[in-house]
Amino acid sequence: MAEEFEPKIVAFLCKWCSSAGSDLAGVSRMEYPPNVVPIQVMCSGSISPLYIFSAFNKGADGVLVSGCHPGDCHYIKGNLYARRRLNLVKRLLEYVGLEPQRFQMSWVSAAEGTKYTQIIKDFVKELKPLGPQAKLRRK
Amino acid sequence: MARIEDLKEEARKLLREGKLKYIIGYAMGSNGWMANPVFIKKPEEVDKLIWDPTCVHNLTRFLVDEKRRKAKEKQPDTRPVGIIVKGCDSRAIVVLLQEKFINRNDVYILGVSCEKAGVVDDHKLVKKLKGKKPKKIELGDKGQFIISTDEGKIEFPVGELLAERCLECKANFPVIYDVLSGEKIKKTLEKPFGSLEKIEALSAEERWNFWKAELDKCIRCYACRSVCPMCYCDECVIDSINMAVTADTSAEEKAQKIKWVQRSPEASENFVYHLVRAIHLGGRCIDCGECERACPLDIPLRFLNKKLEKEAQELFGYEVGFDPAQPSLISCFKDDDPEDFIR
Amino acid sequence: MEKILTKKALPQWVKTLTSYKVYFPKKDQENRWNYLEVGAEDMNLDFLNTTLPPKKLLFPQNEVFLEFFESTDGNQETLEVKEILPGEEPTVIFGVRPCDARAAWLLDKVFSGDFTDPYYWKRRNQTILVGLGCDTPPWENCFCLSVEGSPYSEEGLDILLTDLGNRYLVKSLTENGAKLIQPGKALFQEANPEDQKKAKTIQAESVKKIKRQLKNARGISAKLKGMFDSNIWDEESMSCIRCGICTYLCPSCHCFDINDEVDSTSPLEGKRVRTWDTCQFPDFTMHSSGHNPRPEKASRLRQRLFHKFRYFVENYDKFQCVGCGRCISLCPVGIDIIKVLDKVNEHGT
Repeated sequence: MAEEFEPKIVAFLCKWCSSAGSDLAGVSRMEYPPNVVPIQVMCSGSISPLYIFSAFNKGADGVLVSGCHPGDCHYIKGNLYARRRLNLVKRLLEYVGLEPQRFQMSWVSAAEGTKYTQIIKDFVKELKPLGPQAKLRRK
Repeated sequence: MARIEDLKEEARKLLREGKLKYIIGYAMGSNGWMANPVFIKKPEEVDKLIWDPTCVHNLTRFLVDEKRRKAKEKQPDTRPVGIIVKGCDSRAIVVLLQEKFINRNDVYILGVSCEKAGVVDDHKLVKKLKGKKPKKIELGDKGQFIISTDEGKIEFPVGELLAERCLECKANFPVIYDVLSGEKIKKTLEKPFGSLEKIEALSAEERWNFWKAELDKCIRCYACRSVCPMCYCDECVIDSINMAVTADTSAEEKAQKIKWVQRSPEASENFVYHLVRAIHLGGRCIDCGECERACPLDIPLRFLNKKLEKEAQELFGYEVGFDPAQPSLISCFKDDDPEDFIR
Repeated sequence: MEKILTKKALPQWVKTLTSYKVYFPKKDQENRWNYLEVGAEDMNLDFLNTTLPPKKLLFPQNEVFLEFFESTDGNQETLEVKEILPGEEPTVIFGVRPCDARAAWLLDKVFSGDFTDPYYWKRRNQTILVGLGCDTPPWENCFCLSVEGSPYSEEGLDILLTDLGNRYLVKSLTENGAKLIQPGKALFQEANPEDQKKAKTIQAESVKKIKRQLKNARGISAKLKGMFDSNIWDEESMSCIRCGICTYLCPSCHCFDINDEVDSTSPLEGKRVRTWDTCQFPDFTMHSSGHNPRPEKASRLRQRLFHKFRYFVENYDKFQCVGCGRCISLCPVGIDIIKVLDKVNEHGT
C-alpha cells in the first residue's frame, strides 16, 4: 500500500500567545496531526517575509503564521504590522501561482488550545490533496 | 513643452555661484541615440545637458552613490547636488525623503514635465524602424515623436513608441521640484493597473508557468537591484557577507552560516530573490521601469513590483511617492486593515 | 576544402547530426537572441548576435563540481565525496560570430597552462563551433578590427560559414569540422571559383563597414601601465551602477565563485558549485578580514580595462577584448569602453 502523503507544515508561532496556545493543546492532551514543525518567534510582527519564502524554499508544504489577536499583542502593535505585511506576502505568493491554501495566518491566543488544534487539522486536510510543494522548493 | 534651455540658465548660475556640488543630468550618448547620465561640475559644461524622449534613466540612483561618497569623506562637502528629474524620478526622491535617506536640502531638483508624452521604448522603436538607424529623437508639438535617421525624418504618434510604464504614468510632471520646465498637465488614467489584468486573469497554474519561464532565464546578474534607487542597503539580505571569519572559525560554522539564497541561478533560488526584492520594494517602488530596462534577458520585472503597488493602493489606500511625510507602507497600519485572510 | 550548402538544406544537415545536441540562435524579443535547442522551423541564421555569448554553453553560469554526503554504515559515519564531471554530450553551436569564437579561443588559454580545468575542457572538447561570418556588423558597437579580430576570423571555429545570399560557403577548419560535415555530405556541393570569388568580395567589403574604431589599441595597452593612479577612472566610473552586465555578457570574461551549497546539515548533504562572478561587484575582492582592496567603482572599472587591455596582453600577448560591443550596447548607463580608452590614449604617455 502506497504511503499517504503527509504534508510538512512550518508554523511560526508568537511566543506570548500562539506558542502558549499550542502548549496548552499539548498539556491538555488534545490530539492533532503531527505534521507541524513549530518555530517560536517573539512576535508575529518580527516575521520577515524572507522566513516564509525560505521555508518554502527548503521544502515546506505549508506555512502558518500565528499571532495574538489584535489588541492583545505583548508588544502592543506587532501583530498589526504583521497583518499588513503578511497580507502582501500572501497576495504576492498567489500572484506567482503558489496555491493559496499553502500560506495561512491565524490569531490564536494562549487560551485557545482547541482553536490551534482545529487550525492544524484543517490545514493538513487542505494540504493533503495538493501534494508536495514542488514549485519553490530547491531541488 | 519642457525645454532644457529653461533649466540651463539656472544650472549655470548655481554652478557659477558655487551653490551646487555638481549637477546630474542627461547628455548625448556616445554609443547610440539614447541619452546617457552625465555629471556637470563646471558652468561651461552645462551645454552638454539635453532633454529629449531618450532620457529614460532614473537619475535618483546617483543620489545613493552621492550619499555613500559623502559617508566616506572625513570633511564632506555638504553643498546640495543638482538633479534633473522627470515625474517618475521625482517620486523616487520623495520615497528617499520619506525614509530619511537624504534630506531635502541635499538635493536641488530641476524638474522637467513629460506633458502628454514620456520616454521612448527602444525595443518598440527598433521594431517600427525596421532596420533604419535612429540618430536623434524629438517630441513634436502635435503629440508625435520625430525620429531623424540617415534616410530622413520619420514621425510616429507618441502612443506607439512610449515605454510601457509611461502608458500607466501616475505623475507626468515632478511632484517635488525647485524649478520646473514644462506645464503641469494632469493625466487621468482609466485603469491605473491595467497592465496587470492580463496576468491576474490567468489561472494559478498558468501564472506559475509564466513566472517560472521568465525566472528560469535569470542569470542573477543583479542588474535590477543595482539600478534601483530604492535598493540602497549596504548589505543586501541576498548576499549576506557579514560574517567575521578568523583562523578559529570551524568548517561547520562556515557551512551553517545563514544563506537565504544559494548562488546558483536555479529557478527556486531565483524566485526567492525576486520575491524578496518585490516585498522589500512594497510601498517603495515608483515604477520607473529601470529594473526591466536594465535586465539583459528582458524579464518583465515591472509586473512583480507593480502588483504590490496595486495591493498597497487597494488594500490599504496607500499611494507611493507623493507625500514625503507619509510613513512607509509596512511600518504603519490602520485599525481597519483587512483581515479576511486570517483565521 | 570549401563547400556550398543551400540555406534550405541547413535544417536537413542538422537532422543528420543525430548524436549531437544542437543549438541555434533563437529570437525571443525584437533584437534579442539566445542560443537554444530549436525545432526545424527555427534552424536559420537570420540573426544579429545573441545577448548571452556561447560562453554560456562552454562555461555555464553554474556547474556542480562535486557532491558530498554523509552516510552511516552501522556505527561508522563516513563522508563521501563524488566528483561530477560534465556528461558525454557532444554539442554543436550554430551561428557563432567570429568575435565570440575568438573569445572561446582566449578562454581556452586561460583554462589551460599550469592547470587544465577538467570541467571546462570536458565541455570544450565535445563542442563544435560553426561560425557565421559578419557581412555587416551585427551590432552598431562592433569593433573587432581594432582588437586584432576580424569579421571573418577563423580562430576558435571548427567551420566558418560565409553567407552568399541563398547559400553558404562552408569552410571546414578543423578535424571536428570535417567530421561534422560527413553525415550530411550528400547535401553539400563543391564550391566553384565564382562562389569563392563572391565570398572574398563579401569578406573584403565587410571590413569597411565596421564603424566604430579604437585607435592605437597596442599603444593604449602600453600607456595603461603608467595610468594606474590616474583620476581618469574616477571620472569615467561616476555613472557606473556596478550591475555586472558588462562582465556577465562579455564572451571572454571568466571570473567565477565557488560555493558549497549545503542542502541538509543532518545528515550532511550538499554540493560544491561554481558560478559566474564579476569583478564589478563591490564584494568581489572582499577579504574575510573585512578589508576590500577595490572598494570604489573607479578601481573596479580600472581593473576591468587593465585586465582586458594590459594584463592579458602581458600574459598572452593578445587583447582579451574581442570587440563584440555587448558591454557598450547593454550597459544601462552607457559607459563606453571605447570612449574610456580613447581618453587613456589622449592623456596617457
